[in-house]
Amino acid sequence: VTDAELEADPAEAVRLVAGMVRRGEGGEAFRERRRVLSWSATEAGLLSPSFVEERGTAARIRRGRETLLVARSGTSLDSLREAVREASRRAGTSPFFKALRRPGPPPKHEPSQAEESEEARTAALASALAHAVPDPRGLSLSLVLSHVSVARAVVTPRALHSLGSSSRLEAAGTIVGGGHERPFAFQSPLPFPAAAAALSHALHEATRPVPRFPATEGEADIVFSSSAASVFWHEAVGHPLEAEGPERASVLARVRGAAVAPPGLEVVDDPRRSDLAGGFALDDEGVIARPVTLLHDGHVGDVLTDRRTAAEASNGHGRTSDYRRPPRVRMSNLVVSKGHAKLHDLFAECGTGIFVREISAGSADPESGRFVLVVEHAELLRRGRQAGALTRFALVGDLLVALSNLFPERGDEALPAVGLGLCVKGGDGVAVGGAAPAMLIRGLHVRGARL
Amino acid sequence: VTGFYDDGLFGKLFTEAQREEHGPGHSVELYERAGASLELLEDEEGVCVSEVKERGFALRLFRGGRVGFAAAGPEGLALLLPRARSLLPRARVRRGARAATPLAGEPPAEPVTGAPNVPDEAAAREILVDFRRAVTRAGGGAVAVREASVVMGERRERIATSGGREASWTSRAASLIAHLAGRAKEGRFSARVVANAARAEELPIARLARLGVDRVLLPLTGHAAPTGRVDVLLDSHVAAHLIGRLAPFFFGDAEDALLASRTRGGKDGLTSPVLSLVDDIAAPGGPIRIPRDGEGTPKRRTVVVERGMVTGRLTDVASAVRRETTSSGNAIRRLWSEPPAVGVTNFFVDPSPGVSPLDLLASVTKGVYAAVLLERPDIDLAADRFRLVTAGYTIEKGRAAHRVSETVLSGRLSELLRGIASIGDDLKFVAGAGGGVGSPTLYIPRWKLG
Repeated sequence: VTDAELEADPAEAVRLVAGMVRRGEGGEAFRERRRVLSWSATEAGLLSPSFVEERGTAARIRRGRETLLVARSGTSLDSLREAVREASRRAGTSPFFKALRRPGPPPKHEPSQAEESEEARTAALASALAHAVPDPRGLSLSLVLSHVSVARAVVTPRALHSLGSSSRLEAAGTIVGGGHERPFAFQSPLPFPAAAAALSHALHEATRPVPRFPATEGEADIVFSSSAASVFWHEAVGHPLEAEGPERASVLARVRGAAVAPPGLEVVDDPRRSDLAGGFALDDEGVIARPVTLLHDGHVGDVLTDRRTAAEASNGHGRTSDYRRPPRVRMSNLVVSKGHAKLHDLFAECGTGIFVREISAGSADPESGRFVLVVEHAELLRRGRQAGALTRFALVGDLLVALSNLFPERGDEALPAVGLGLCVKGGDGVAVGGAAPAMLIRGLHVRGARL
Repeated sequence: VTGFYDDGLFGKLFTEAQREEHGPGHSVELYERAGASLELLEDEEGVCVSEVKERGFALRLFRGGRVGFAAAGPEGLALLLPRARSLLPRARVRRGARAATPLAGEPPAEPVTGAPNVPDEAAAREILVDFRRAVTRAGGGAVAVREASVVMGERRERIATSGGREASWTSRAASLIAHLAGRAKEGRFSARVVANAARAEELPIARLARLGVDRVLLPLTGHAAPTGRVDVLLDSHVAAHLIGRLAPFFFGDAEDALLASRTRGGKDGLTSPVLSLVDDIAAPGGPIRIPRDGEGTPKRRTVVVERGMVTGRLTDVASAVRRETTSSGNAIRRLWSEPPAVGVTNFFVDPSPGVSPLDLLASVTKGVYAAVLLERPDIDLAADRFRLVTAGYTIEKGRAAHRVSETVLSGRLSELLRGIASIGDDLKFVAGAGGGVGSPTLYIPRWKLG
């Protein structure tokens, strides 16, 4: 589904942008329509609904090392004209267009069919919540559930490109149960019924009362589930290879071409995987999105780039959280090659250690390679068997050391990540996805097991 | 209805909504925000200037305790009323939900006219130059600014309700965000630091530079932390983040049960008697200076903890009705596209009973000074636990002795709050809890480390 207004009058839009961008400059216009139907929710069910429609246009000019972005509300030709006029004024040039050619189309009213589908979605969401929390006693939920639909288009000096429309189901908030508070985040790009079912399952797992005890602080061998492994790869390998700053700004970018992980390991950022949350065909600068191999056969490979960091050689990873923000180099879907091991083989190899099911937050310092992963859901492993759930703790490690301690054999399925949803970097959140097999890393530090 | 745009969109929609939504228990609230901001970002790839002008409307319809919320820009204005109406029947009834009415004695608001102005780019460039100089001075060449950005903005807001409230107001804000990288023979370390202020000229540039330098150099050059029971001084920046995480305790009536269990139904103190917690728009140095909240209620000073005892709550109109009081002016609209929710303005520890931080330092024989946070604080109000990963200095006989690369402070939150023996008078604010959170230096004797 695309938004007609974003693609209306393409010839005039292209003419405006072509008039803005001068010889030796790069630039484009970006149009976005975001529609969100949200519900606040508690353990008692859905509470207050809200509907938001935001439309915006940005005109962008790149000249040498300088970038200019001018953003305005609305996606009509008038909005584009105003953004282009102001961008040209700030850039010290005069655009080629007349003040006003003709008024844009009037805003369209929502078709009643959309409201009907919203009615059905509301019912599905209420049902998902009821199934997830059949017995709310002892539980306190504070969640916002949102169905987000975003349509985007890029106008270059040559053509108007629709970036298509995507929709996803999001949930975020906190759950208090069993005397503990935990964050909850969920995102799914699946069709609504499947996404609602997945949300119900995730919420059910998160609210299920399980007796937990603290992990022992210190070094431990860790088996990561598929979802948890996706978060590790995202933080530890993906972010350090987003090409920002000089080459020596990231611990991995400093050792391009070096062997840092076991042979046979491939880590690819693949925006073409439309089944994952971070998929797109063209990036937010109108560049064709290409898969980029970050680790090839265990060696550090390429970096992700956008127009600002690589000009025409961009590999299509310029992404923006919304039209007001300049695009930055960002990941899409990090896909890791699978191995041949079953999960119980990894457990057996690990012996005594920890099986990490869910990571709720993570961060990595690209400069030093130090990473911290907050583990929300984990189980103790004793002699290769699951031996009880653990309370929240943090895993701390050094990226290069962790990669060198990665057990060469990995799980035989690279499953889509459930916990990976919105990646916030520098305050800008973009949808990301991942698919990775289960894996074993030896000697990570378990910290703060008392919390 | 007067306002800052003379295109009549606001008045027309409000009149239409009022005409269609009338009857017992029905009320209407229309809100508009117009904003202009400028961001200047400098990194190793070059300079990026972003100028944003936007305008948005938000309509809330109230019908017998149900609320329907719809928001859109000027192009989507025609959607608002039908959308909000279609959502109403699906909403659950919440006691107290209604449009605001003027408070008794509320002064009439001066109408704000004219669109907001885009801030000056030259002023932003000057701030970044000053910040780079300050980092060079504080870091002695061992710290580089990888990326720094200044955001300055002005916004104008107005609100009208069928209950008779009509107000418009203007405010400004600025922030400085930097990514610093430190280099020493022990290795490299980088960190992101942020400062907010109500005016660009109030940004604490030198303080942020010193904080950033400590943040990236202490983990590299420090020694291992001492273990056992020692006295702990929490720097105001570290303490402010901790205090900010207490704010949800006081949001309306959401955590009444939890607060009651922590204080034995209000008989015990939540914190040590030296602590008073306040939310005040007029706090000195507070980064938020918006005269009214998202429901148009004038903001005021609210004391939520006085000398350790819980005395108040932060409320919006609905939670104030449920508590049979008046709104404290804490209905915060983070974005125009979000419904207002209870939050903080400037939430802080009242420093009036405090002493000089040097006096606090002098009183410590053996201890740790936690100067910077290395990670986001992990605080679980329900479990009454906390964990702060910090770096700082050891203190011996009232003086800073050695650098400490990492100290983990953890344990029972209530024990920490009740164990605070004295506070400094150096109130400082950081961004947190959706507004500004502040604290002076806190002194906790005999805390167990390691």
